Amino acid sequence: MTKLLTLRDVGKDYAKVQSRGGRVRLVFDLLRGHSAQHAFRALDGVSLELARGESLGIIGENGAGKSTLLKIVAGVIQPTRGTVVVNGRVGALLELGSGFHPDYSGEANIDLAAALLGLTPDEIDAKRDEIIAFADLGEHLRDPIKHYSSGMVVRLGFAVATALAPDILITDEVLAVGDESFQKKCIAWMERYLGTGGTLLLCSHSMYHVQKLCSRALWLKDGRVVRAGSAADVTQAYLAYHEEKSQGRRAPIPQPQAAAAGVYAVQSVTLEPGDVIAQGAPLTVRGEVYSPDARMPVVLIGIVRADGTPVYGVASDMDRVALRRLAADRYAFGLEFPALALLPGKYFVRAHALDPEGVRLFDNVECALTVTGATRELGLVRLPHRWAIDAPEKRNVV
Amino acid sequence: MPAAAPLDPPEAATALPVRDTRRFARDRALFRNFFRRELTTRYLGSVSGLAWALVHPLALLAVYHFVFTSVFRTTGFAGSSFLAFVAVALWPWLAAQEALQRGTVSLAGYAGLIRKVAFPHEIVVYASVAATLALHLAGYLVVMIVLRAAGEPIHLEGLLVALPLWIIMAIAVAGLTLALSSLQVFVRDVEHVLMPTLMILMYLTPILYPLTLVPEGLRPWVAANPFGWLVGRLRDALLDGRLALEPSDAIALVVAVLIFLAGRWMFRRLSPYFEDFL
Repeated sequence: MTKLLTLRDVGKDYAKVQSRGGRVRLVFDLLRGHSAQHAFRALDGVSLELARGESLGIIGENGAGKSTLLKIVAGVIQPTRGTVVVNGRVGALLELGSGFHPDYSGEANIDLAAALLGLTPDEIDAKRDEIIAFADLGEHLRDPIKHYSSGMVVRLGFAVATALAPDILITDEVLAVGDESFQKKCIAWMERYLGTGGTLLLCSHSMYHVQKLCSRALWLKDGRVVRAGSAADVTQAYLAYHEEKSQGRRAPIPQPQAAAAGVYAVQSVTLEPGDVIAQGAPLTVRGEVYSPDARMPVVLIGIVRADGTPVYGVASDMDRVALRRLAADRYAFGLEFPALALLPGKYFVRAHALDPEGVRLFDNVECALTVTGATRELGLVRLPHRWAIDAPEKRNVV
Repeated sequence: MPAAAPLDPPEAATALPVRDTRRFARDRALFRNFFRRELTTRYLGSVSGLAWALVHPLALLAVYHFVFTSVFRTTGFAGSSFLAFVAVALWPWLAAQEALQRGTVSLAGYAGLIRKVAFPHEIVVYASVAATLALHLAGYLVVMIVLRAAGEPIHLEGLLVALPLWIIMAIAVAGLTLALSSLQVFVRDVEHVLMPTLMILMYLTPILYPLTLVPEGLRPWVAANPFGWLVGRLRDALLDGRLALEPSDAIALVVAVLIFLAGRWMFRRLSPYFEDFL
């Protein structure tokens, strides 16, 4: 089966020119068929394939090259390197009001936008009523676009883009602008479109939308692909990256060399079966603590998300558990979670050593934990739940 | 070499002709849309816009008439009146001048589209040039008919030659505008250099004076001006009523096509980079 969209090693350089003279030199370079001498690599070595009916989400920070990639697929800009093969009609809905002229009425803009999208005048005539009905702007259709609200512009843009019946629909965050009923209409259209084999290329900062609408995802950073794969995997890796990044900005947690200082200290922590576990699998935290005075210390085990948000913590004295004595100054502990309820993502397991009274906290040892899974549930943990749809006394609950 | 992006499937060579006709139909639709848009935004945006397109050359003609016949009392217009003599040449010049000036900056007005939608950028320039030339051609026809009705020695059948001459001019102007507009995107000075240049060129072209009044030694230089050739041919046809084609017409057509091809080559080389600089 031929791919609808194939990008091979695509790169895009933007010329960096400061002075006027530089611009003149650039023109000469370009005319002689050379590329710009000083260039900023907006995109580098991006390869991807998209088959009919697949949907791909593109994620990444601002300036990662997402828009550049979408523009290359839409044909707005030509890649500096690599090849782009598109085997179908591309409908692009990039940014608010693209393809619209602000001084023109909605009606005139329908003609312009449709002509830009490649509809012939006959086709435009055939589609006009459909577009007008979908946009549902009523009398405003005769007003200039510049008097429209942003939501109204999006309605018109979406109506035009969808009337083209594109093989690939390229869109970014614009859909979030419409009002409730229009969003419903869009989602319904989108689901029908995807259900009937439509192909979507979505660029979004909303992991929820990417996970809901896309089967696959591509994470771009500084113009390069960091990760590509199933939407669940890539979005989780991306979120974890952000959590770590925001934690990186916080003050580092002090790690006192407690054992050397002769106080209660965690000497080792290990995660079993390993530091990558599947959602719902068992996890055991084992380790040893040092006691300077032969009294049994208290150990506190906590789980925090990668950004430092506490999830759960429990200490041995809360559950009145005694540690296993290995020697007068060494005690072993183990804490088992039979079915770890954490949702997929990156976490840290922290072990603290406390004095036997469980009052003073002496030491803090951290190890990373990655939970994998393909769920779209939100939050940190899966709470035990059950959908109570059927009411006990035969009431019809909708 | 900047890798070309084959937006067509390379294996579907047999399907290409269909695709091309389709693309052509779409480009034509786009041209019509831009053309209408040029005419309406330019002249309907202001109340007096459309009238101004005719009033401006008429006012110029009146001023020149005053200066050259009442103040300087120039003579020697090959037996024709000053009004007819200048009118025949003034409209094509103003048309070409305005087409160049507007066309050179036309891409900026479409920056929003060029940055966000895929379409051949040339169409913007063609629409701008075509709108200006069409409007002034209409004014030209009106003025010729009015002058004839007022008893000026205009040979209206000369329009049979004048119209093809306008087409040759349009081809050359389109080529020049393609080159200048693509350059303007990168070097904003083009627009500012263009205006005085055109002003000087106008006085170096035998529009307000006949070539015969130019001193003998300078005459070959002035005659070498292609626009001077065009003006001469227009006067042959409309003032003298000579309808025969000349070998120079064919040469002019070839030169115009070459200018067009060169301008288009330059435009196509630079247009992939417009998006960065607009």
